[in-house]
Amino acid sequence: MSLDYVKFSPGFDKFMPKEYRDMVEHGPFGKKTTVSQMGSFKEILEEHPMCAGCAMTLFIRLAMISFPNPEDTITVGTAGCGRLAISQAAIPFVYGNYGDQNAVASGLSRGLKLRFGDIPKDVVVMAGDGGMADIGFSMTLHSWFRKERFTTIMLDNEVYGNTGGQESGMTNKGQVLKMAPLGKKFEKMDMIGMAKLAGCAYVATVVPNNPRRVESVIKKAVLIAREIGPTYIQAYTSCNIEYSIPTDKVLEDAKSVETDRYAFSEYVSDEAKEYLATRYGFKEYLPKPAAALPKA
Amino acid sequence: MYLVADIDVDICAATSCKLCTQYCPEANTILYDDNAGKEKGLKYGAAYVAVDRCKGCAQCVWVCDNMAKHHAITMVMIDQLPKAAITDRITYLDQGGTKALAAPVEVA
Repeated sequence: MSLDYVKFSPGFDKFMPKEYRDMVEHGPFGKKTTVSQMGSFKEILEEHPMCAGCAMTLFIRLAMISFPNPEDTITVGTAGCGRLAISQAAIPFVYGNYGDQNAVASGLSRGLKLRFGDIPKDVVVMAGDGGMADIGFSMTLHSWFRKERFTTIMLDNEVYGNTGGQESGMTNKGQVLKMAPLGKKFEKMDMIGMAKLAGCAYVATVVPNNPRRVESVIKKAVLIAREIGPTYIQAYTSCNIEYSIPTDKVLEDAKSVETDRYAFSEYVSDEAKEYLATRYGFKEYLPKPAAALPKA
Repeated sequence: MYLVADIDVDICAATSCKLCTQYCPEANTILYDDNAGKEKGLKYGAAYVAVDRCKGCAQCVWVCDNMAKHHAITMVMIDQLPKAAITDRITYLDQGGTKALAAPVEVA
């Protein structure tokens, strides 16, 4: 949990793989990296076994770049596709039992608070729609009601992609899948509404076809979770296997879904707005100057 | 044999959009060499693909054709590539940016 844990012991650097040396010497640790610098520094995410062209991978890659302090971040995940990539990054990853990721993260963030006090240590939960809205639903919601201070990111591919295409709570009504041949009979769960109801300080929906927007959303969510309260991001990350999207049409699909049912939305509580403006200088949340009085 | 992305340096170095580096789902795969075009007298650097990491999904082709509208990226069979960059030969520069040292490297 500091910059030192990635560095080499003296004399051992020549035995380390090239990727590791690049990461220590030219990685994002201790620097401010942005999406516009992509391709010119070593990313903390490494090679992973996820499918070619997976939009979830793109989102995870953008998320890893967007963390405000990657050296002070721990990711928590659970069973599902996402953990295949999240676990291949150079930041600690905790793999919870199926569904208990938000409970694990609650303990972890409290423990880090006790151990490190005011030094910010970020806990970020990244799990799929099944782990969060179905199996881990109670733990997710309870962590929000308890106002646990960490970020929850749902990688919503609207299907159980890892196990052959069963419907999840986040699948759209009427959707026919390999293991749901009659089509889903119920509506998609409104996790955004529930997050607001449960008192999340920041709630956003995002589609990874706008990297800068993903970056800004994740930065805000992680910063707000440090002191204000729980934050929730719901990201549409299509499953190109179960939904039969050709890999080169994944971003076209993301674009059409964004205009159709996954429009960008952002809810920031007043307390979080004030915190972002005063502590981190977010200009859009600074109090606006009083309007000039109309001439008499 | 399998397909990998190939970026045309002449077209890429005439612009500096860098969109493909932001939309590739694989990390450290499409990298940017700030000097690639300048050596040829062009205005900007150019992106290039580390072919040993490329999974051949062709998202970058869609992005270059439809979002950037530059048409600089094509999918090519790996043994048909005259030159390619591989991870072991790529160096990251201290001032930021990358350099494919021995790229172009003969693949065969």
